[in-house]
Amino acid sequence: MAANFWTSSHCKQLLDPEDVDVVPAADRERGITPEEFRLVKIHMSSHIWRLAQQVKVRQRVIATAVTYFRRVYTRKSMSEYDPRLVAPTCLYLASKVEESTVQARLLVFYIKKMCGSDDKYRFEIKDILEMEMKLLEALDYYLVVFHPYRPLLQLLQDAGITDLTQFAWGLVNDTYKMDLILIYPPYMIALACIYIASVLKDKDITSWFEELRVDMNIVKNISMEILDFYDTYKIDPQRGIPEDKISPVMNKLPAKA
Amino acid sequence: MEINIVDKYEKLEKVGEGTYGKVYKAQDRATGQLVALKKTRLEMDEEGIPPTALREISLLNLLSRSLYVVRLLAVEQAAKNGRPVLYLVFEFLDTDLKKYLDAYRRGPAARPLPPHLVKNFLYQLLKGVAHCHGHGVLHRDLKPQNLLVDKEKGILKIADLGLGRAFTVPMKSYTHEIVTLWYRAPEVLLGATHYSTGVDMWSVGCIFAEMVRRQALFPGDSELQQLLHIFRLLGTPTEDQWPGVSGFKDWHEYPQWKPQSLARVVPTLEPEGVDLLSKMLQLDPSNRISAIAAMEHPYFDSLDKSQF
Repeated sequence: MAANFWTSSHCKQLLDPEDVDVVPAADRERGITPEEFRLVKIHMSSHIWRLAQQVKVRQRVIATAVTYFRRVYTRKSMSEYDPRLVAPTCLYLASKVEESTVQARLLVFYIKKMCGSDDKYRFEIKDILEMEMKLLEALDYYLVVFHPYRPLLQLLQDAGITDLTQFAWGLVNDTYKMDLILIYPPYMIALACIYIASVLKDKDITSWFEELRVDMNIVKNISMEILDFYDTYKIDPQRGIPEDKISPVMNKLPAKA
Repeated sequence: MEINIVDKYEKLEKVGEGTYGKVYKAQDRATGQLVALKKTRLEMDEEGIPPTALREISLLNLLSRSLYVVRLLAVEQAAKNGRPVLYLVFEFLDTDLKKYLDAYRRGPAARPLPPHLVKNFLYQLLKGVAHCHGHGVLHRDLKPQNLLVDKEKGILKIADLGLGRAFTVPMKSYTHEIVTLWYRAPEVLLGATHYSTGVDMWSVGCIFAEMVRRQALFPGDSELQQLLHIFRLLGTPTEDQWPGVSGFKDWHEYPQWKPQSLARVVPTLEPEGVDLLSKMLQLDPSNRISAIAAMEHPYFDSLDKSQF
């Protein structure tokens, strides 16, 4: 969102990998495993994605919403903060912060349309507004988030491989199914996506990478994480995680009061 | 979590109406510190926390600390009649630059501001603006009412970032219903969709002139009249002077004024000051001086910068 990442709260809030993706105690007690915790986050990230397509917001709003969502669960449990409510509220909050407000009643309308049959996903305006306040506090009021999209475009241009834009852009989208945005500076994530794209599309840009003087070990580590992710979760982007896989996990969480 | 705001702060008086709600002077019961409580309007039934409040919070949190930007001390969630209210808790300053200038303009004690004070305030303003711009934040609504003044310490701080936004390069179109007319840059008045730090520097120039004159430099009451005020003094821009100017959405044919002497509207200002002012009031934003460069201008050579 802003020009200067290094002085931003986003930069200061980057987490160590070991502090991310830790199942909160309250969720552990309900029998949620690390694997299931990750599944819920993937599932709800795509929930945000699909909801956002209905209400038609820009990519950056979605990315910010997913970042909020993932940040919340480095601090709060899913047992206490129902992800089915947190997800749309993150989208609501992100739309305001990114100056393209989506009305709460519109969100509620589309949630009902998308999840008509499943009562556990249905919420009213008042639920979203209440959760908005709780999320602000959970996020410690740090709301500005930087994303890899802009550096991606600049770097692709610099490397002279703009023909890979669409492919690399898709990879960046997929990184939001993981917690990378909480751990690494956005431009490093962009570089990792460019690295993968260049390898898979047989573009030799080794010398360009060398001139960048970035720590290639980090770029390669992020790339490996992304590729591992693809290997582990062969997710159909249209449909997300299959119902029979996610339902049993969601059922471990308390239903709304 | 949710608190009863009066348990924590004693409201002393209402001091104003902000972009999105009332502002109270209050005292922190635990520490005795004076604070300004900015309450978000209670229109939370339908749309929750106002986006302007959210933006102000996020931008203030984005900025690291600067003496010249008003500090957000805390955000408090409270409940009133069962409904949630959000209070932004700021450090309290006793006045703002508008009220401060009013005291020099009107009444029995009317007199010019001492030149060293103008210089001192302008330098502090530039420090604050440079801080915002260095963090990628545009203020977009700089005006005397938004500059708080600590009379005793002689400190000036930028406040009210509700209309501010973090900028990205290149700028995309923002809503252009922003800066109060008098301090609004010509490119905004002409309907530019891409604008940048220059909009704030234009406002700084207008505020600079106003401190010297004790009255507004361009007191327009409509967008057109505002432009005419500007062109009458600085000359109607041509394509040569400002490439692309006739392509703006709201460009019309204007009377062809020639530039007037800037020194005539700020007769008491020393020549170096007039030179700096002219660099801030460049019609073409790409020619406008930056906050950082302005701080190095010879006008400030006589200022002891070590005090800041």
